[in-house]
Amino acid sequence: MINRTERFVTPSGTVLLVEESHALPLVHIGVSLRTGSVHDPRGAEGLFRTTARLLRMGSRGRSAGEVEERIDALGAQLSIGCAPSYIHFGGVVVASNLEPFFALVGQLLTAPALRNQDLARVRRETLAELSSLCDDDRSLAARHFRAFAFGKHPYGRPVMGTTASVSRVTRQAVLSHYEKHFVAGNVVVGMAGAVDSERAQELVAKHLRFAPGQPPAESVAAPRMPKGRRVLIVDKPERTQTQILIGTLGTQVDDPDHTALQVANTIFGGLFTARLTHEVRSKRGLSYGASSSLGHDRVRELWSMWTFPAAKEARACIDLQLGLFDTLVKDGVKPSELRIAKSFLTKSHAFEIDTAAKRLDQAVETEIFELPADYHSGFLARVAAVTRGDANAALKKRLSRRNQTIVVVATAKEVRKQLAAIPKVHEVQVVPFSRV
Amino acid sequence: MATDHARGPLQASSPHRRKIVARLNARLKPSARKPSGQLSARLRARGEFSFGGGLAVARYSLGNGLGILLLADHSAPVLSYHTWFRVGSKHEKRGKTGLAHLFEHLMFGETEQLRKGQLDRLIETAGGETNAATWVDWTHYHSELPASELPLVVRIEADRMQHLVLRKPQVVSEKEVVANERRYRVDDDIEGQVSELLYSTAFTRHPYSWPTIGWMKDIEGFTTEDCEHFYRTYYAPNNATLVVAGDIEEEQVLSLVQEHYGAIPASRIPQLKAEAEPPQRKERHHVLRLPTPTAKVALGYHAPSFGDADYPALSLLSEVLFGGRSSRLFGRLVRDEELVADLHGSASPFVDPGLYEIWLSLRPGKDLPTALRIVETELSRLRDQLVPQSELDKVKNRVELGFLQGLETTGGRAEQLGFFETVAGDAEALFQRLEALRAVKPRDIQRVARRVFETRRRTRIEVVPSGEVEP
Repeated sequence: MINRTERFVTPSGTVLLVEESHALPLVHIGVSLRTGSVHDPRGAEGLFRTTARLLRMGSRGRSAGEVEERIDALGAQLSIGCAPSYIHFGGVVVASNLEPFFALVGQLLTAPALRNQDLARVRRETLAELSSLCDDDRSLAARHFRAFAFGKHPYGRPVMGTTASVSRVTRQAVLSHYEKHFVAGNVVVGMAGAVDSERAQELVAKHLRFAPGQPPAESVAAPRMPKGRRVLIVDKPERTQTQILIGTLGTQVDDPDHTALQVANTIFGGLFTARLTHEVRSKRGLSYGASSSLGHDRVRELWSMWTFPAAKEARACIDLQLGLFDTLVKDGVKPSELRIAKSFLTKSHAFEIDTAAKRLDQAVETEIFELPADYHSGFLARVAAVTRGDANAALKKRLSRRNQTIVVVATAKEVRKQLAAIPKVHEVQVVPFSRV
Repeated sequence: MATDHARGPLQASSPHRRKIVARLNARLKPSARKPSGQLSARLRARGEFSFGGGLAVARYSLGNGLGILLLADHSAPVLSYHTWFRVGSKHEKRGKTGLAHLFEHLMFGETEQLRKGQLDRLIETAGGETNAATWVDWTHYHSELPASELPLVVRIEADRMQHLVLRKPQVVSEKEVVANERRYRVDDDIEGQVSELLYSTAFTRHPYSWPTIGWMKDIEGFTTEDCEHFYRTYYAPNNATLVVAGDIEEEQVLSLVQEHYGAIPASRIPQLKAEAEPPQRKERHHVLRLPTPTAKVALGYHAPSFGDADYPALSLLSEVLFGGRSSRLFGRLVRDEELVADLHGSASPFVDPGLYEIWLSLRPGKDLPTALRIVETELSRLRDQLVPQSELDKVKNRVELGFLQGLETTGGRAEQLGFFETVAGDAEALFQRLEALRAVKPRDIQRVARRVFETRRRTRIEVVPSGEVEP
């Protein structure tokens, strides 16, 4: 009883995706751009996020307070997500209020006020968020990990920006960014839930008329990993525990090795019974969590593993992780592991498509990353086709045993010496945690 | 805003369901028809109620006391299998805090039929995920699986309810994992530290005073015998409810449950005599100095239990203050005065009276007393003035949206049913709660504000930057 997502293109080039389901009287809506924080100019990190948040601060004739009052009164929610390669405005509303909510979102996105005083407010809010980030060790680790691994590549730019870059954002920069990116050909609209495609098309035609235009033709070059094994300690006082991220480059979403590497990653750290979790948590109790993940984007993203052992056990945990990783790449996966991982990925796929909103998400991702139309529907066949040889070849070809980034949030004086002594580490940097 | 979830009172089981039960009871083997066996495995249909959208929840029980709630929905080929035990950290004793939570971890270990790690392996190979949670009143195990894997999960869950094997090496290793979890959630987390201190200060007698994860010294001290005793005391069918939702056929579920759980004997569950918390007559206050760039404060007011008639009004009051960016305190503290970076407020959803908690994390360099004065002004306003009907309607819309979102997935539905069954005493109260929220009037909000927001019944924990960080 699972529907197929319907796809339409408006005369101005906006793509509309509709996934109808009347299981609940709710409609999810999404407006996504095919561009994201990698398009922030160097030195203006956070510009896209600032622009997106400023749009919520009011349309012509409606103040920020009035917008928020209206959203809540309609029984709706609106959120803004910013990623390196896309921006997403996501909303959900009770079906009876779909049109007024969609009209409001349309006003915000196509006729924004972009007032100077609101920009100043967004800047101050973002600076406060950056300060709050210092209280969250896991987020600190993730932010520093990307910056340290990618260096000057656009993927290394923090989506939120930095204290310095956000403070510099001007209204003119926002206006230029808006005019460049919020154009009809750069937009993908999605609706899922208690709405049919005819109604969805009417709503888009009536309320979401962006200026004509195509996405900027700025492609992002493939990143390169810095040579060797490098350590960054994010120094924070009084830590009883560490947050550890270790990684190297992985694959891009349409890489021929991507599915094989997904299977291999599932074996290594994608399941509770995976090698990493078993060795770190189940066998030794070193960390409450231990997992690995394979990023996916238009160009090569990171493969990484995450643990959080007690400070006194950080070195032992890192040694164990590096050893497990080395064995994985060198010796590959076992047939029994391959069978279990493929079984999990195949059978659990039902949970990727069990609600209309999830099915819509897949369709939007297909559009945003310009993937073949059968990218998601063909997932099961691709997994079924992965052989042990494919997985092992992908590991060797894609995951470097030499070039690795290690980021540790910890009290530096307690761990620096032991981390510097990790074999083959040629660089240890320390940054204060409050530098964001 | 109207949904199709309005419903009438609990109905008797339909003839169709009574026939299923009769068929299944008739096939009980002679050996199981001994008085004890027959009683233990005998199914009873105990009524049904509408879930909206043409769906219905059917209630059954086994003779051994196991409660069963089934919600069939064939819209996707998945199922959720949840087991709710009526045991949480409030059933522990001082010196043994954290045992319910440690035990939850151990339930994923070895059984008489499964080697250590095999449970997770079987679920994952079947394409499923399994996890659990423990809080003050309950422990909750859940698995999400493709619908075809029903027999597997019934077998596994029934097995670990009666045949868990506890050995010292596993207990020692899991204590290390829990100690690391505690470091993650509490010791290195400011809000975790503050929450722990808030409850241990606000409650002096009642078991809600200790943290569910347990004090570190208690975690370190647990023995295998402690765990064995806890298992034998609380893990019994008459202390649990199964909730199975998704692409299921009721007769198949009941047949499997009868087969695998039918022989588990009921147990005598000790009656908890939690000491009542004496009324708080004076504000309590602590200050923590921590490495953070900004000041923070947590307030805890003694508040009604989840089952109290005032709880729905308290939920809406909370939305008036904190629900969304148009709420009163977001408007004043974040938007207008720009004092606060993050804030939230909520009433603890506990069986016994808990706390209404308020959390503010300030912006760098901002003044805590000013922010607190604004909070107190807004609380006074709720006590002194009626909330306008339009504002109340707005927050009701928000709450209804949240309610519907909680029912979008099979897992969400099973969780809500299990939670209401365990905490409110009746799964059907899920929809009664929605009706109660719709019926709240402005004067109800005012009455609850006057009941809860008294400064002398408040505990206040402040966090002051330790000075090692530049703001």
